[in-house]
Amino acid sequence: MLFFSFFKTLVDHEVTIELKNDLSIRGTLKSVDQFLNIKLDDIHVVDEVKYPHLSAVKNVFIRGSVVRYVHLPANAVDTALLEDATRREAAAQANKAK
Amino acid sequence: MSFFGFDTTLPRDRASHAAPHPKQAPGFSQQRDAFAGLSRGDSGGGGGNNAEEGYDFEDTYDGLGDELDERDDAFNDETFGGSGAAPDKDFDFFGSTAKVADAINEEQLLYARVPKKAAAQPAQTQQRQTKPAVSYAAATKPKVIQKHVEIPDIPELKPEMSLWTTTSPEATPAKSMSAHAAAHFRHIEAQEPPQMKSLAGSLAPSAAPAAAATASATTRKFKSLEEVEAEILAKKQAKMAAAAQVQPPPPQSIQPQLNQQLNQQDGWPIRQMQQPQQPFPQISMPNQSMQAQPIQQLQMELPFPARSMPPPQQSQRPPQNDRVPDHLQRGSIPGHLPFQPMPQNQQFPANNMQFPMGMMPPHAGQPPFQGMPPMGQPQIMQMTEEERNKFLEEESKRLKRNHKIQQLSRYNGLMTPSDKNFITRIQLQQLVSVNEDQFNEDFYYQVYMAIRARNNPQQPLNQFAQTYLGQQGARGGRARRQDNHLLRMQQQVQRAVQAAKARPKASQLVLEGSLGKISFSNVKTPKPLLSIKKQDSTGLANPDPKAAHSTFAGIDRRSILSAAEDIYRCLLDLDSHERKHPGSNLAGQQPDAATIQWLETRDAMIAKLWRSMRIMEPIKAESKAPHPFIAILSVKKAKEAIPRVFRYIDLEQRITILTMITISLDQVDVIKDGRYQVDAVALSPETRKKIEGFSQYVLPPLLSYVSEAQLSVITGLLGILIDRVNVLVLSQTQIGLAFLTMFTSRAEIIKQAGSADEMEVAKWTQMYDRLFSILEDHLLDIFPPHGVQVDDMYVWQFLASMAVGANMQQQQKMVGAVKDRVNENVQASKTLPQEMGQQKLANTNLFLRALGLDIDLLLAQQ
Repeated sequence: MLFFSFFKTLVDHEVTIELKNDLSIRGTLKSVDQFLNIKLDDIHVVDEVKYPHLSAVKNVFIRGSVVRYVHLPANAVDTALLEDATRREAAAQANKAK
Repeated sequence: MSFFGFDTTLPRDRASHAAPHPKQAPGFSQQRDAFAGLSRGDSGGGGGNNAEEGYDFEDTYDGLGDELDERDDAFNDETFGGSGAAPDKDFDFFGSTAKVADAINEEQLLYARVPKKAAAQPAQTQQRQTKPAVSYAAATKPKVIQKHVEIPDIPELKPEMSLWTTTSPEATPAKSMSAHAAAHFRHIEAQEPPQMKSLAGSLAPSAAPAAAATASATTRKFKSLEEVEAEILAKKQAKMAAAAQVQPPPPQSIQPQLNQQLNQQDGWPIRQMQQPQQPFPQISMPNQSMQAQPIQQLQMELPFPARSMPPPQQSQRPPQNDRVPDHLQRGSIPGHLPFQPMPQNQQFPANNMQFPMGMMPPHAGQPPFQGMPPMGQPQIMQMTEEERNKFLEEESKRLKRNHKIQQLSRYNGLMTPSDKNFITRIQLQQLVSVNEDQFNEDFYYQVYMAIRARNNPQQPLNQFAQTYLGQQGARGGRARRQDNHLLRMQQQVQRAVQAAKARPKASQLVLEGSLGKISFSNVKTPKPLLSIKKQDSTGLANPDPKAAHSTFAGIDRRSILSAAEDIYRCLLDLDSHERKHPGSNLAGQQPDAATIQWLETRDAMIAKLWRSMRIMEPIKAESKAPHPFIAILSVKKAKEAIPRVFRYIDLEQRITILTMITISLDQVDVIKDGRYQVDAVALSPETRKKIEGFSQYVLPPLLSYVSEAQLSVITGLLGILIDRVNVLVLSQTQIGLAFLTMFTSRAEIIKQAGSADEMEVAKWTQMYDRLFSILEDHLLDIFPPHGVQVDDMYVWQFLASMAVGANMQQQQKMVGAVKDRVNENVQASKTLPQEMGQQKLANTNLFLRALGLDIDLLLAQQ
């Protein structure tokens, strides 16, 4: 749930989603669920020339499984907190494995 | 809608409302019609139809005759031999049959009744007891009508509608379950979200059958009730038309459906079940309301598949059709309102007018679809002007509302109950994790939002509340209105969560004889993780972590890192423990048991944290390896942990840390690597980062401690430093100088404040002299080489702090030593960019000010 928890804090921030088909979409993160499906608003494709058919699209729903990378806005990430959250997650996982 | 479930919709209405999905089809927001089979059996077993219903031709005519193609009928005479001659009697089968028609019908009737009677014996008797009127009437039905009834059934056979309906638990009364029904219910239960269960369980026994009765089923019960009421009324009011009894008005059928639809629009499917129970306790005829339960029960036991054949009358009923006009008609039923408050009243007050008693003459016989509110002209005429206006106003209001409902209900029934259950389950599971421990599952989000909420108290809370169904919404004033609502929802969720927890969870299913396992995914692990068994004894570097703990060498990076993680683990535990604080006590009150226990646990955890820092391990003078704590401190994350550790530890432990660092200062990485190599322009970036980290994370807590320390402590610390550490080396590093600055400046502050006694001051002065004598010949060495490019503020800070405490002689020595450097800086500041130059001058000025000089004097001189 760490990533879900993390992405929830990025709601209403501008992110770039890089898909596994090399399409990069930049837009405002509107919503994310536990499958890391993503809803973007006000999108524009990074390489508009290559994907002109997407220039008319205003918002998208991206299935979580097709996402390769999410480019984060650095100032919206609390690194120290993220480290702690990761530690907790790891500890929880370790507890579960026992 | 008629009592026995025939479509009383007029053909024209039927044609004009081609519904996308038959209203009857269960699973589309319909509850199961538990009485469908029974009434059929009734009509079949009773051998014909209700005499008193007296079908109109208009009502039953299916309109097929209108569709006949009569264009080519012209030559019928030719084909069939003309109409002139009387037909031969040879083929007059009917004529001869007609003579014995009555007997045949009688036979048929008997035949139809006997086998079913045997099978449904209990049902029949029960029925006779409860509603004899209907049964007797059925027995004496004219035969002709029976034919009439059976025909429309045929085209409307639906394949196994019960397949859909079985998923709705409401269909089964919670209490009066037969064994068959119980098994069925258990099956349902397994599929239901726990919330449903708890609700079903919480229904009152008397309400259970009511809830169980589906929309149309309740309808039919109402019908019979209406009949009885109508009879009573007929006695009272002689003018009551006979038609009122014969054809019970349909309007009541609407109530449950409407409720249901409205509830769905609400978005709370749960309430569906709560609604229908309301009319029942209010009904004044006890035997009528009793009726529902036994019949329902019997039906479950009956062997013949009563339910598999849906009652015909609803299947063609278009959804929009039956709602609005029927609803409008509700007001027109005389005698109903006083007897039976409408359930909608509670939910939609504006929707329901209370017509004054007796204002309306009987209109029950009116056909269902007139397109007009049944409130006829005569009543309006009888009203006063004011009443009429009011009535019309309310009428239009209601019409508007109905229109809106209709608009909204366009998408009703798009989701089957199982769809809804699925969604509910997902949402519930979400809530389960939320309720469990917010900080466990959702740590980052929760803390992040909490931090932001602290910075910006308004906005994030709303978002927070939204995300969790207003879980904390009560805090904001905005959510006040929904509080009750949310509270109820929360309680339901809690119950549901408890039920979910109580149920044992299986993560895998192994079918007998199968080769593999089937893993279930849930919301937390959408896809099952690979479950790789950890081999405990092999592969790990340290088989016994305890042993590693005691024999910590502090040499290899791996153990250092894991030691740092230990610190963090303790810190996180402490943090989460801190959140569980039982609540602040009022001053003066004795701490309660929970608080005491909490404090004890906290102390134990702090002790654990302290141990994890390994600071108390003895210093081995002979070993070259640094002390474990110093070794741990060499990693960045350990440095970052220091401020957090300082939050929990007490003063004594703080001074221990300070002393430990001071004693081993030459071993601390930032000192060891902090010296400038010969002819190196700058330190390596890695070291610079370390120095930055040290001064950002470790120094401030130490400084905050030192700034409150006594002079004796400072003197002691400086003594240790001079005794055990090479001060000259120290003075050539940034952090080393920072330590010296820290001590000297604090001592100077205490001295000037005059809070220390003479002896302390004398001791300090002695110590200071020692320090000065060590450094006085090497004052130029403390500057970084090529200081022009490097930020040398810390050097000037140190010099300033030294100068403040120095006597005249020492000051002169210092000035003499660094005079060239000062001039150099002043010169450099002129060639450097404006900003950097100003910075350099300001740094230099720090020192000059401490001497009682100012850079401006120097600049003026030149």
